[in-house]
Amino acid sequence: MSLSKESIVVAIKARIVEIAAETGDDASELGVDEIIPATGLIDSTGLLELIAWYEKTYQIPLTQEEINIDNLGTLARMAEFVLRKKGLL
Amino acid sequence: MATAIYIPRVNNNDDEVKVLAFDVATGDKVEGGQIVGQVETDKAVLDVTASDAGFVLGFIAKPDEVVKVGSIMLWLGESADEAIPELQESTLPRSTGEISQITAKARLLLAQSGLQADAVPPIDGRITVEAVERFLAAQGGIKMAGAAVDRSPAVDVQPDVDGTLVNLTREEKGMAATVTWHRDFAVPGYIEIEYELAPWAEYAANFQQEKGLLMPPLLPLMAWRLIGIAQEKPVLNGTFIDNKRFEYNLVNLGFTIQAGESLYLAVVRNAQSKDEQGFVNALGDVLRRAAGHNLKESEASGATIGFSSMERWKVTRHIPILPPHTALMVAHAAGRDGKGVLGASYDHRVLNGGQVVGVLKKLSTPNKN
Repeated sequence: MSLSKESIVVAIKARIVEIAAETGDDASELGVDEIIPATGLIDSTGLLELIAWYEKTYQIPLTQEEINIDNLGTLARMAEFVLRKKGLL
Repeated sequence: MATAIYIPRVNNNDDEVKVLAFDVATGDKVEGGQIVGQVETDKAVLDVTASDAGFVLGFIAKPDEVVKVGSIMLWLGESADEAIPELQESTLPRSTGEISQITAKARLLLAQSGLQADAVPPIDGRITVEAVERFLAAQGGIKMAGAAVDRSPAVDVQPDVDGTLVNLTREEKGMAATVTWHRDFAVPGYIEIEYELAPWAEYAANFQQEKGLLMPPLLPLMAWRLIGIAQEKPVLNGTFIDNKRFEYNLVNLGFTIQAGESLYLAVVRNAQSKDEQGFVNALGDVLRRAAGHNLKESEASGATIGFSSMERWKVTRHIPILPPHTALMVAHAAGRDGKGVLGASYDHRVLNGGQVVGVLKKLSTPNKN
């Protein structure tokens, strides 16, 4: 798996688009710096799905304290957090 | 005449149960209704009672043994020195691997006789009136002590249309066990009230901003409010056992979450011991594990009170099924025009409508203290 920031952003966005589609929403226009919960594109259950997928895909078990806006609030922050946890940033 | 006490069915998903213990010994005199032992499945423990008075003649099942539902657990006699009847084929535990068809008349006779279909040897693969009558004659008209445990037929008739039997997943079995408990034990009622969305929305938004949370905390905060209300009024956090109300000492909050095709009731145990943020975090943890299909067994069972939301699906009303051994499940639904609906399913054996309305009214606003 390629672990550049760009590739991570692409993968996370693709997952968000899938999750949003479950409730009939279109997240294809989501920007890398948009605060994901504030967009309303995915609800709390969708966010849980996203985080569960994120932990599994990137093999980074999270504590509840780490699941906050600063670490995971946008596509860019989520990608950077993966790289930080892997010691790649 | 010797009377058999049979291994009862605990729920429809388990054709075998484990004998936990006996509360009586050979030669003991027992009264009708007295508990003689316990059996368990991975979901529940059940007392087995004697339907009539008698003397314990002997045990067929043994503690820790896994036995078929409908097999003989022990024998009672009118006197302590009565001989145990010789076991006949029809009284031996049998494989329940083959599903027999049951005729409508046989089903009626089974119900009238207090018998489980499991106990009756089929004739040519079918349980007919003849099969039931033959069984009753062989037993000398015995009563099934465990029969009152499960009012449902053990095996349903396969529809007369081509199809395929599909085994249930663990989650599907759990859901089936829940709805079966609701049907067989609870006396369900449902009440709902309308409430203003704004106070809760504002409270949750402030909490999220203050704590820097990623997840909108509205529903966890409402669940936390429910826990506080249940602590003030312990009857809400209870169930109904053996004609008595059982009030739990701990609050184990069950919260429904749909993860893909699976519906989970994720449980935060000992929830009353946490503070508001601690509970929000703990619930977030179990919900995240549920979303990843990684719930531990202890996080998927043991709820004492429940909270459910179908807001995600824009559902404006839903009537939840009560999880086993709970008396209250709050139903949160999508709001409209600034108003929301809070409902609750409840076990009318434990709670009355007025009590439930009181809960919902309190729950409709955050506790800002």
